[in-house]
Amino acid sequence: MPMTDNSAGKTGAAPEGARARDRLALLTADNASVPLPAGVQAITAILLAVLLIALPWLGLGYRFLSIAITTLYTAIALYGLGLQFGQAGIMSVGHSALMGVGAYASAILSVQLGLGFWTSLPFAMALSAIVGGVIGPPTLRVGGQHYIIITFCFCALFVIVLTNGGTFTGSATGLDVGSVTPLPGINFDKLSNNYYLVLAALFLALAATYLIGNSRYGRKLRAIRENEQLARSVGINVDLHKLGVLMVSGLFAGLAGVLQLYYLRHISPTLFGAFPSLYLALMIMLGGARYLYGPLIGAVVVNFLPEVLNLDPVDSRIAYGVCLLLVILLLPGGVGAGIKNIYCAIAGESETQKQSGGSNGRA
Amino acid sequence: MAALEVRGLRKQFGGVVALNGIDLDIDTDQVVGIVGPNGSGKTTLFNVVTGVHLATGGTVSWQGQDITNIGAHRIARKRLVRTFQQAMSFPGLTVDENVRIAWEQGRRGDSRWASPGMILDFVGLAPLGRAIAGSLPFGSLRRLGLAVALGVSPELLLLDEPGAGLNDSEAQAFAAVIAQLPPQGIGVCLIDHDMDMMADLCGRLVVLDFGTKIAEGPPAEVLADPKVREVYLGPDKTAAAS
Ligand SMILES: Nc1ncnc2c1ncn2[C@@H]1O[C@H](COP(=O)(O)OP(=O)(O)OP(=O)(O)O)[C@@H](O)[C@H]1O
Ligand SMILES: [Mg+2]
Repeated sequence: MPMTDNSAGKTGAAPEGARARDRLALLTADNASVPLPAGVQAITAILLAVLLIALPWLGLGYRFLSIAITTLYTAIALYGLGLQFGQAGIMSVGHSALMGVGAYASAILSVQLGLGFWTSLPFAMALSAIVGGVIGPPTLRVGGQHYIIITFCFCALFVIVLTNGGTFTGSATGLDVGSVTPLPGINFDKLSNNYYLVLAALFLALAATYLIGNSRYGRKLRAIRENEQLARSVGINVDLHKLGVLMVSGLFAGLAGVLQLYYLRHISPTLFGAFPSLYLALMIMLGGARYLYGPLIGAVVVNFLPEVLNLDPVDSRIAYGVCLLLVILLLPGGVGAGIKNIYCAIAGESETQKQSGGSNGRA
Repeated sequence: MAALEVRGLRKQFGGVVALNGIDLDIDTDQVVGIVGPNGSGKTTLFNVVTGVHLATGGTVSWQGQDITNIGAHRIARKRLVRTFQQAMSFPGLTVDENVRIAWEQGRRGDSRWASPGMILDFVGLAPLGRAIAGSLPFGSLRRLGLAVALGVSPELLLLDEPGAGLNDSEAQAFAAVIAQLPPQGIGVCLIDHDMDMMADLCGRLVVLDFGTKIAEGPPAEVLADPKVREVYLGPDKTAAAS
């Protein structure tokens, strides 16, 4: 690991070739558990918040803002996936189905009972959490791979059920909803206001992720990820916490799904099938599931890449594939790991080592 | 009544009888050693007592409560804690975080440690707090295993070959740390193959062979027992005979 004293010593004495190798190792290592100084964390958070809040004022246009909204609600779902995969080590490749549970629950409550955005939100989130929890227990005890397969099957099954749900689910055409119930003085039909709604939810997701990551609960999840047997032997109720984190992750997915529904105002089954699920998995791996800003980075890269490079859908799939390969080969911890490592290299190892380790630093 | 009472404990893996009716009493003010040839059931005894494996028969009671098959995490919360024969850690996390996780679990009720740092000081790992556990040299990893177990504030600590893989000086230093535990009210039950160290550390030795207790008593007495000598010399004799 690059952050220990002895590797720092090696770098100093090594010849040129070995030094370059060490540099590369330094940039590619996964050091999510090495804390960053609190000041750096605070400055990053403030800069990011300012940038995101200022975004609609930068005159980037309607299309840009639309993609930004898509990016942000996707990132919210990814923060749930970041907790279950990044912290607790439980990967899912059917995660968009959980967004779909939230979105459809909210849409059906709207069509059948006339509930609006705000009133249906808690029910939709709760249902996503319950469904997320229910898929877990039968398979988690057997091992992670079984759970991954089950999430994929659940995703396929979910689409089939929606497509054959008659008028209740709107079948293949899907369901429509009105706009978000206005708050006093705020009309969410305006795109920038919709953006701020989603941004507020993202800030909540980020704050929750940060607090969980630095809490006793977050440490329990990481203990489970790192060594289940040892976690049990220090008194952690592994099965309960696995179930719990899947439910928390479901809450995030439900929130993201409802935001998606009320942004698009129309949903159909294909939005929540295998492809969107795989994209979520791609984003979390690209960005870095263990890093505070990893999910957001992953969502930004995947959503904006075709736009920036002007790629058609087929080309962009190829580009995603190449990106994923590059990340797996060069940055197993994701882009988030790379950025944190670059920071550490610039700031100097000796200095980061001196910083007190009170807060758990995830870049 | 002893703190830990094992009665008629049996464990079968398919056709293999790993424990064949073990009776054992351990109190929390002593160091008890468990010895026996490879495969005699020592690790299995720890695994069944601490809930890693389900018992096939018999009972385990701890501080008067039946804890047979109640689950590993519940047993740990009752401050009956063990280490593993293969040195274990949370490899991707820092040494600090490894110990903090255990310490936070042990803090239900009251911990004997005011902070995780005290545990690191106690086992001599304080300078390595920010190192990633998976990158530690083996000797330090063994210390970390002990630190994690101590973090749970055990009243009885079951140590499975804590000295295995250490060189002589490391093993001696480790033995010195273990010897400090009973005076602090942490009972120790220790598996090891190093008879000199066991004779030094333990007030009582228990000898297992094929899942059965064949001898128990003060080390000098047990090691002089012809039955025990036969078990330890046995493999060579049978090999010579056949
Ligand atoms: N999980 C398991 N599944 C099947 N058999 C097992 C299992 N664990 C232990 N055994 C068997 O139980 C018997 C006792 O093994 P155990 O590991 O308890 O021995 P031990 O006394 O700790 O030996 P060592 O000194 O080599 O550590 C052995 O025959 C072993 O093969
Ligand atoms: Mg053993």
